[in-house]
Amino acid sequence: MAKKEIVVALAGNPNSGKTTVFNNLTGARQHVGNWPGVTVEKKEGICSFQEYNLRVVDLPGVYSLTAYSPDEVVARNFIIDEKPDVVVDIVDASNLERNLYLAVQIMEMEVPLIIALNMMDEVESRKYKINAKTLSQEIGTSVVQMVANRNQGTDALLDEIVRVAKKKIEAGGVRIEYGREVENEISKLEEAISKSPLASRYSPKWLAVKLLEGDEEVIKKFQEVINV
Amino acid sequence: MSSADALKVREESLARLKSIYRDEAETVIADARYGFISGLLKDVLKKPSLERVSLSDKIDNVVINRWLGIPLFLALMYGVFQFVFTLSAPFMDWIDQFFGWIGGYAAGVSPEWFGSLLTDGIVGGLGSVLIFIPPIFLLFIAIAILEDCGYMARAAFVMDRLMHKIGLHGRSFIPMILGFGCNIPAIMACRTIENPRDRLTTILVNPFMSCGARLPIFVLLAGAFFTANQGLVVFSMYVIGIIAAIIMALIFRKSILKGPSGHFVMELPPYRMPTVMGVLVHMWERGQLFLKKAGTLIFTAVIVIWFLSSMPWGTDYASAGSWIGQIGRVIAPVFSPAGFGQWQAGVSIIFGFLAKEVVVGTMGTIFAVEEGLLGGVISSQLGWTPLVAFSFMVFCLLYMPCVAALGAIRGETKSWKWTGFAAVYTTVIAWIVATLIFQIGSLFI
Amino acid sequence: MVQETIPLTMASPGKLFSVTAIIAGWRLQRRLADMGLTTGIQVSVMNGQHAGPILLDVRGSRLGLGYGMAQKILVKEVNDG
Repeated sequence: MAKKEIVVALAGNPNSGKTTVFNNLTGARQHVGNWPGVTVEKKEGICSFQEYNLRVVDLPGVYSLTAYSPDEVVARNFIIDEKPDVVVDIVDASNLERNLYLAVQIMEMEVPLIIALNMMDEVESRKYKINAKTLSQEIGTSVVQMVANRNQGTDALLDEIVRVAKKKIEAGGVRIEYGREVENEISKLEEAISKSPLASRYSPKWLAVKLLEGDEEVIKKFQEVINV
Repeated sequence: MSSADALKVREESLARLKSIYRDEAETVIADARYGFISGLLKDVLKKPSLERVSLSDKIDNVVINRWLGIPLFLALMYGVFQFVFTLSAPFMDWIDQFFGWIGGYAAGVSPEWFGSLLTDGIVGGLGSVLIFIPPIFLLFIAIAILEDCGYMARAAFVMDRLMHKIGLHGRSFIPMILGFGCNIPAIMACRTIENPRDRLTTILVNPFMSCGARLPIFVLLAGAFFTANQGLVVFSMYVIGIIAAIIMALIFRKSILKGPSGHFVMELPPYRMPTVMGVLVHMWERGQLFLKKAGTLIFTAVIVIWFLSSMPWGTDYASAGSWIGQIGRVIAPVFSPAGFGQWQAGVSIIFGFLAKEVVVGTMGTIFAVEEGLLGGVISSQLGWTPLVAFSFMVFCLLYMPCVAALGAIRGETKSWKWTGFAAVYTTVIAWIVATLIFQIGSLFI
Repeated sequence: MVQETIPLTMASPGKLFSVTAIIAGWRLQRRLADMGLTTGIQVSVMNGQHAGPILLDVRGSRLGLGYGMAQKILVKEVNDG
């Protein structure tokens, strides 16, 4: 019987242990190529789990999903264009505040998201305490704890990936409030955007936020539609 | 048109928000995100009231210390080279023995041309190159360990001040280190440098960082001509390369690539213990580029050279009358001012364009001896003095990057102009420096 | 007591400072924001004071900044009293 395929995107900051997680999942079954059109490395691998074949794509390590560098554009485009079944954000749990900045931006893209708290051993040695349950409730996504260096948490992550994929969970994560005035402008923009052809491909809300942020790639997309 | 409307609404929104917040909308949004995270963490994260200084920070107090930082780095580099060469010695012996066995077996093989292909071509040519796989892979393992544990970021940090003096910054330092293994991944690593002038400068001078492929040349010639001081001579090649890179970086930044430099911003992640799998995967990513090169370019080059040495049918193998000899004799005069105007040298240099290891591979194929005897043969048959050998080594160190490296330069710069420039300027400098060394050296020695 | 605003390069190590302004173009500001450095947050310098790169504690992570870069970040010491 043919195995079903799940496409998993691994996102995360550089130095978050994302590569280790990728190695744990795919082992020797990985290969490196290039993303088409850019000089950014594309790492993909296969992981067989239960009745599924997981195609794991290791996105470039980025601090943010603005259009600052080719790495960020590639990571972002994969999520919104290829629409993977699950996005896993590998977070350095000993550095939660900075790492969650990326998670929040992924949440704005309204994709199925799992937050993997990696480097829990460092959290323990620093005597931090993280309430994963509260985090999951307040941030609105599943949370898995890992020590990728010791290959701990990999099975829990796989279980969660399959669970999220099976349930076809539409969008992980709560909606951030940017403050009343900004929210007003977002609503106005959303209305104008919803009539544009781009609204069928991307979430109008996300496009609105990106336009306010001055995102060059999104502005370009709008200009391309106008020029057609 | 609604998309145009959207852009217009955007302009209006930005203006409104700017007047309310006195700040760009993007800053307000970023602050809102961080604000959300702070609020969230109040419920989720508890740090001890008195946080111990982490082990990472304690280590950094020494590692990035203003006075200790650079000496520590140099000591580490010395340790790495020791590690690489000591560990690779037994492996290199095995490979040498293996090729010696092939040579012995092949001596009696018929038809004769096949035997010649095996001994002269494969053993002489390919063997003298493959023997360097252990040190190259071990070097990549060492670099992978340094990167995965987090030290490389510290090295970039510590070197930032010095890099500034040549018009670059800390980020340009890591590709330089990678260049000692192989210039191809090193040039690709320049992607993390955002400022285009900094990036281009780092790419252009990277070939001067003596890659693993040039090592066979140095080891061979230093061993034959400077036996007592071979370690020192090989080391001097690396130093000359570094000095050339520094000088050219300065020149570029003050002339054709003038302009403000980028800013150095780099996270120093906490030190982590590297995993075995992680290091091996990392090593393999870079090492495989070298193996692909060996498997394809070098192997092909060796066969071609053997063929050219054996033709026309009937001439003595690799004599001045063979095709390769004829090619060489046309080129050779260019190199006489530098002391190595023999056709064998000229031909080796030309084929070295394919991959620098092929310089030794060519010599090995032409003289049809294995690596161990090659040095002596060059000395006796070409009549080189140690000065000539040194001049030749410097030329090979500095001249045009191999075709694979040029391919990487083209890939990263997306410009034939700069790729061509890289090929030409390095060769010109190589010729000038080698000639100067030989001419000035001849006055004293 | 009013604290004066100084560039980060003059901030003494080990003390807590609040970022008041970042004098840089939008690209650089965005990059710094992506790595956690925004106005209003508290930072502290980890290494000694001298003409070289600065190691900064930013929201728990360690950020290395070139000297020229650090000169563009204005901070004010945070007083407990």
